[in-house]
Order: sequence, then structure tokens, then C-alpha cells
Amino acid sequence: MNRVIKVARMQLINKGTFIGIPAMILVSAFLFTLVIWWLVRRNGAEGIMYGGGAQAPMWYFLALGIQALTLTFPFSMAMSISRRSFYLGTVALFSVCALVLSVFYYLMGLVEKATGGWGLDGRFFALQWVADNNWFIQIMFYFVLMLLLFMVGFLTATIYMRWRTTGMVVFFTLLGVLSLAVIALFTFNDFWDEFWGWALTWTAAGVTLWGGLAAVLMAGGSYLTLRRATA
Amino acid sequence: MSRTAAIAVRELSKTYKDVRALDNVTLELEPDRIYGLLGRNGAGKTTLMSILTGQNYAQQGTAEIFGHDPFEHDPTLARICFIRESQKYPDDFKVFQAFKSAALFFENWNEQLAQDLVQAFDLPIKRRIKKLSRGQLSAVGVIIGMASRAEITFFDEPYLGLDAVARQIFYDRLVEDFAEYPRTIVLSSHLIDEVANLLEHVIVIDKGRIVIDSDAEQLRGSAVTVTGDAAKVQEFVGTAEVIHRDALGALASVTIKAKLDGSQREQAKLMGLDLSPVSLQQLVVRSALSSTTEEALAERTEARK
Repeated sequence: MNRVIKVARMQLINKGTFIGIPAMILVSAFLFTLVIWWLVRRNGAEGIMYGGGAQAPMWYFLALGIQALTLTFPFSMAMSISRRSFYLGTVALFSVCALVLSVFYYLMGLVEKATGGWGLDGRFFALQWVADNNWFIQIMFYFVLMLLLFMVGFLTATIYMRWRTTGMVVFFTLLGVLSLAVIALFTFNDFWDEFWGWALTWTAAGVTLWGGLAAVLMAGGSYLTLRRATA
Repeated sequence: MSRTAAIAVRELSKTYKDVRALDNVTLELEPDRIYGLLGRNGAGKTTLMSILTGQNYAQQGTAEIFGHDPFEHDPTLARICFIRESQKYPDDFKVFQAFKSAALFFENWNEQLAQDLVQAFDLPIKRRIKKLSRGQLSAVGVIIGMASRAEITFFDEPYLGLDAVARQIFYDRLVEDFAEYPRTIVLSSHLIDEVANLLEHVIVIDKGRIVIDSDAEQLRGSAVTVTGDAAKVQEFVGTAEVIHRDALGALASVTIKAKLDGSQREQAKLMGLDLSPVSLQQLVVRSALSSTTEEALAERTEARK
């Protein structure tokens, strides 16, 4: 059997990491939200209620991206796996998990609409801005968002694996300087109103496209960095 | 050469910042033998093994496993097993999960052997790896290394934290399994005497340089210690290369690099001199360690007096 697939199987030996924990986070976030909605309704609130809990598992993917590297990568070296196989297997497995979860979000969104927001007029999965699009964009939107967060963690961790503390210091210093420069530029030129005005015109499809591009760039960057990383 | 060397290293160098971890290392290891990679802590043993297993890379020179650079080469990597002394495992892994993973990747993995060893080492396989003691952690590495039956297996100071009984189990099982399934084994160690009897070939590395690369049998007979009256010892030793000298009053004990023949032995006897063999450990310590270390040793000996 192909070693790339074996890497995915290795990552799944402990099923909690890739499946159990995200599922648990999602279920508990959802149940909490339902209870809160119910309490709010009992007090006579009107109108649609929004809950942001659907993003909860996505933040876990950030941590997962880091963990998949810092701990599993040195072990994969001991299993005589090439960096390439490790990378492909891990990213492929994550992509499949993210895709399954994205489809699940979409389906739950349908159920949400059909049941009138779980009978409480709440919006957990079918947030208007996303849910107004067709099925493909909806699924891709969630998928890209998850991939993006995973890649942020993955890239940061690869930089750590390759250049250790020095890499982290340089990376975050550069990031800080860059962010400050952009903020300063916007502030001095009074770009902020224009920027927010522009940000409001973003569509889910646009975000998906650009987010996807960013994820692909980060994926490429982390691969090139990992190629020369040591355990 | 009739068959490809298991490991061929040419002019390999690796520098970490200001430390020269490997300095122009050239080696050739034949298949199906047990090699000892000996040296002090920080001598470059782990760095060398990391490069040979594609876990690290050199700045200069080449390393080939069965004629291939192992770096990022899956078919070659699949023939190697190297669990490092400070091996990291996924945080949530239990012992049996590490074995399950190894079974996926090492084609010759023998589950029965792994189970036997688990029993022999009395290893709690359902415990999380990060909760294991140092000895148990070493046992996990030893079991993966042995049960993988990889064509080239590296053991990196495998006895750390293991008690005397467990160490003996390891040595015995290694020899037993090697006899049945010959493969190339590289045993890195700084406990030289303990592994001396296992080794067929000895490589000693110090400060990144190979200082001994010799057949173990040959090495054992390559030096002798002459003890007796100082003047007579000096007369007997003559111009032979001295690797160690001890003196106590009129008595001297001098270790020389020489293979004595029958007549020389006879002569020593006539002169009232005592000849004694040199253990591998003594030989390595005495002849291999660089001059600075020898000076340090001499100083310490002085201090004790």
C-alpha cells in the first residue's frame, strides 16, 4: 500500500485527534447555543438569533495543524517516512476531514432552514451571508476556511521545525512589522473608511476564491519549508 | 566489490553553527554484520545516524544506503529503521499505538517478536508514552527497532534507563534474532565493554572524526599492556607506539600498539615482564580519544595522587 495513505492511517490511529475532538467541540457548541436560544426566547425575544458556534471546531484545526507537525513529524521520521509522504498524507487526510465537515455544515444548514431555525428561529449553520449562495459555494466556503486555519498552524509549525526558536522570532517579528506598516499606511492615508466600505462588498464566493489562493500558497510554502526540516 | 555496501559514506561533513559535528567522515559498512558506533556524548554518533537515515542532511559529502541517497527517497527509507535516543512520539499515543504504526510502515514487522519483547521488558502497552519512565521509553525504541527487522537497523544508546536485567535481555534477544534474520545492525553506545562481545566491527568517532574503523577481533589483539620493572619495560617496549603509560615507583605499566609474536612473548617472560590483553573499552579510551582528552585524564590522575 502506498506510503502516503499509510501516513493518513497513522494519523488516524488515534481517532480522537482528527474526528472525535472536532465532533465533540461542534456538538457541544451547538447544544450550548440551542439552550441559550431557548432561554432567550422564553424571555420573549423577537427576531432571528445568530450563533457563531459553527466556527468553534475550525479554531481547533489551527491547533491541529501545529500538533500534526511538532509531534507527529518527528515520529514519522522514525517510521522512515519521507517528508514528502508525510506532508501529502497529512494534508490529504485533513482535506478529506474538512470536506466531510463542510458537507455536514451545508446539510445541517438545510435542516436548520427546514425546521425554522430548530424551532427557535436561530441561525447556527445557515448564516445568511453564506447560505444565500448555491450549494457549491457554501461547501467550498467552509472547506477553504478550515483549510486556511489548518495551513496557518501547519506553516507556523514547519517554520518552527526547520529554524526552531530563531525562526519563530524572525517570523513573528516580520509579521508584526508588516501588520504595523499596513496599519500605519492606512491610517496616514485615511484608507480605513474606504477599506471597510470595500470589505462590505465581499461575497462568500470572493472570500472563498482568495482564501483558497492563500491556502494554496501557504501549502506550497510549508512544503518547501518542510523539505529541509529535521526531527 | 561483489555486492553493494549497505552503507557507504564519503567525505561527509556537517557543522552546527560553530560546532563541527562531522568532519570529513568516510566509511563503508557491509551488509549483515553488527557494527558498533562508539564515542563519547556529543562525538557525532547521532548526527551521523540521522544523516544515514535521511532525518538530517550533510553540508558536504555523500551518504548512500544500498547505493542510494536516503534523503527523501521512500524506497530506500523503507529499508531502514532508526529510533533516536530522544525519540518523540505523538502526544496522545499509547505504547501499542506506536507499535501499530510501526507495523504499518516496516514491511518485515514481526508482531510475535514485538509481543515477546513487551513481555520480556514488562512494558505496560496501554499506558501513554509520555507517562513512561526513561527505561520503558528506551524499551519502546528497542522493540520497534528489533521487531521492524529492517535491513539496516540503528540502535541509538538503546540501554538508557534500562536495568541490568533488561539490558541483558536486549543483548541476548538481539544476537538470537540476528542469527535467524541477519541484517546490518549499527549499535551506538558509550558503554563499550557492555556491548563489546556483540560487535563484529568497531567504529569509533571523536569530535566528528573517525578515529578507529576496524574489525573487532583485530582490534582486540592490536595492543598489549606490559607491566614490570620500569627500566626493563622501557627496554622491551623500545620504539613501539605507546598509547598509555602508568608508573608506580619502580614499576611501570605501558600499553603499546603492537602484535607480539611468540618469541617476543618468550622474551618478555625472560625479562620478568607481565603481558596483559587490553579490553576494547581501554583501547578505545586510550587510543581514540584526542590529545586534549588524554591531557584531561592525565590531570585527573595527577590530582588523585
